[in-house]
Amino acid sequence: MDSHHFDVIVVGAGISGLTAAGAAARHNQKVALVATGPGSFVLRSGCLKAQELMQPGSKQEIGEAVAFFQEMAQAAGDPFEGNISEVRYLPTIFGDFQGIALAPRSLWNADPRSDATTAIVGIRELSCFDENFMAERMNGQARGLGFVCTYAARQISLSRIFGGPVTTLRIATRFDSDPGFRSELVNVLKHAASGFERVLVPGILGLHSSAQQFAQFERELGCSLSELATLPPSVSGLRLFNRLWGYLHEIGVELFQGFPVLKVQIQDGTCTELQVASPGHTMILRGECVVLAAGQDSAGLLGTEFARCDEQMRPLTSTGSVVAWNLFVAESGSYDRTEGSGDDMEILAGYRTGNLAAAARGRYAVG
Amino acid sequence: MQLDDFAIDNCLKCSVCSAACPVYSANAQYPGPKHLGPELERLRCEGFAADTVWLEYCLGCHRCDLACPHQVGVSEMIARAKAKHHKPLVRGLRDWWFARPGLLGRLTTILPALSNFVLSMRPARFLMSKLIQIAPQRRFPAYARPNLRTPTIGALNKERPRLLLFPGCFMRYNRPELGRTVIELLERNEFNVEVAETECCGVPAVANGDTNMAHAVARDNVRRMVNQVGAGMRVVTACSSCGHMLKTGFGGLLKDDAELADAAQRIGSQTFDLAELLMAQSDAGTLNTGLQAANLHIAYHAPCHQKSQGIGRPWFHLLRQIPGVTADDIDAGCCGMSGTYGFKQEKYSVSMAIGQQLFDRISASQPQMVATECATCQMQIEHGTTFKAIHPAEILLQAYNGRPY
Repeated sequence: MDSHHFDVIVVGAGISGLTAAGAAARHNQKVALVATGPGSFVLRSGCLKAQELMQPGSKQEIGEAVAFFQEMAQAAGDPFEGNISEVRYLPTIFGDFQGIALAPRSLWNADPRSDATTAIVGIRELSCFDENFMAERMNGQARGLGFVCTYAARQISLSRIFGGPVTTLRIATRFDSDPGFRSELVNVLKHAASGFERVLVPGILGLHSSAQQFAQFERELGCSLSELATLPPSVSGLRLFNRLWGYLHEIGVELFQGFPVLKVQIQDGTCTELQVASPGHTMILRGECVVLAAGQDSAGLLGTEFARCDEQMRPLTSTGSVVAWNLFVAESGSYDRTEGSGDDMEILAGYRTGNLAAAARGRYAVG
Repeated sequence: MQLDDFAIDNCLKCSVCSAACPVYSANAQYPGPKHLGPELERLRCEGFAADTVWLEYCLGCHRCDLACPHQVGVSEMIARAKAKHHKPLVRGLRDWWFARPGLLGRLTTILPALSNFVLSMRPARFLMSKLIQIAPQRRFPAYARPNLRTPTIGALNKERPRLLLFPGCFMRYNRPELGRTVIELLERNEFNVEVAETECCGVPAVANGDTNMAHAVARDNVRRMVNQVGAGMRVVTACSSCGHMLKTGFGGLLKDDAELADAAQRIGSQTFDLAELLMAQSDAGTLNTGLQAANLHIAYHAPCHQKSQGIGRPWFHLLRQIPGVTADDIDAGCCGMSGTYGFKQEKYSVSMAIGQQLFDRISASQPQMVATECATCQMQIEHGTTFKAIHPAEILLQAYNGRPY
């Protein structure tokens, strides 16, 4: 099999594309991932809400898909805590609590534990984060929910951020690249945390940092530490993307980043090639099976003939015939969706298509 | 990567470009590609100059373009603004030279030994640092007699397909033997090679904001190659920056002249990176597989302008075809050198801060050597680590010759 020929090609690096690539790779397939950039998942916090996960009829399958996603996140060094039947109240930067089923570990311990005294630590000059407002609201909200815990606002100043508007992204990149900055942060946080059992900070602890680095930082701090998801782009979401991307690279998934798929070539009911808009000349990638996980763009790539997907996630025309037997669409819309972001449905769609593509591979021969 | 020339409205301000920017991570004051590109572009469109010194700090690595989920041509907006940016006299003078590596090469190679001696002298480096702000920590690459020529083709081999080698400045003025290595590799794979009579590809001119020079070299290069390409020859490059420039039709520099722009685009469509070409041979089953075993652990670094060509990672796969070779794809981002950028005194510390992650990962891999196809990435890696860095073509040719490193 040549260097541009794969068992499974996945188009799109949103949460479903990343899951599909990971799922196909687990079946020892030669996998490629083609994407122009991360999906919208990274712009949000990386949390999955509880009510989204209660899909009648598909709960078991969602459980399996989410468990796979958790395994992958764990291996990528950014563990995803929780499970689909658990609800944990996690604070938001607006000072209220949301029922969350799964979240990255760095956010997971921010729940209103009983009797805990918690410092919400803001950073001087950081925009869109008001620790006083949060502490005041969270004390009231926690009482309303029946939790016995108190929140107090603290503020720290960081000397090593200079120039330009201070954003969580800016602080997170310093966290990644500057050991001196990390020591300074530990020291000022220690001071702010004295007398508290737990510290909550805005999401600033690195765009690439691993769970081990987080744990190390927490040990140095000497008390429980959690991040709060801030306004998009969320550092915890970007970190999850970076870690998963790095993990797929490590397990041998060939990553083609930066250029969109222009055309999905279909001949006689078989998807024969993908044309990628690289400069100079179009790059041709051939996959025994292809998963389209490009969100709304998937339909655009399939053209006007595409109407919907069958239960095997294969695209159908308006007359009900299969567009291509070796093509799968990670189309979360084919499930009934309650309110919410639909990230769990994306994980399920990615997991299903990744598995289906890996299973279909080799069953037929590409002409 | 951009689909439209003017994709400013596609920018949702998601900051994914800034998160991917090597300079944004390394320098806390750098406003990042989102601000310098689409945000300030809105003001520039309204006629405001919105000039800032930070425009000079863009590496031109294109990582923002690759990261953008909505194909906004971020780096091109920054490059256009950089071309209008006003520099103080001394930096302007220095960058005028840096935009002209071809001229610098022609002058220094009149007497290469003397040039190398002078450029490596401590007092000369001290003076260059004081007078024209060139980082004294850096060494210029050694210059050599520019003696890369089209080889004579034996009567028996006349029928082989002919390729046009675009050498680039480094190969022409610093390492003509790398050119001969490339030619030999291609000859071993049944190609004839003609060396193009071209000059600098123009990447340094664009990077230093010198539009006039960039236009001049683009026009000149297109005129010098258009006939051969028209006659069906493919162009091959071994330098990733030259390859990037040629493949993007000289970065849209010639779009005001329809005929030249069309020719530039035709040349771009026929341009191949050396490894891309060899990997295509391998994929077709026609690569010369007479590779001798070598007991070698290599760390491979993909240059930014290799990634921006969107061709996968052909050198990584080629190196792994040599029996006994293990290759580690380091994948630790930009090296920070970016051609002339790392030579600039005021940018030296940023350049080294960017490279730190790469240096650390290379050291952790403990290779016998580092392979990377960009000459300035090689310089930076040798400057920042204790490892030797060479062009992967050299490793491949040694494997053909049975003289492993």
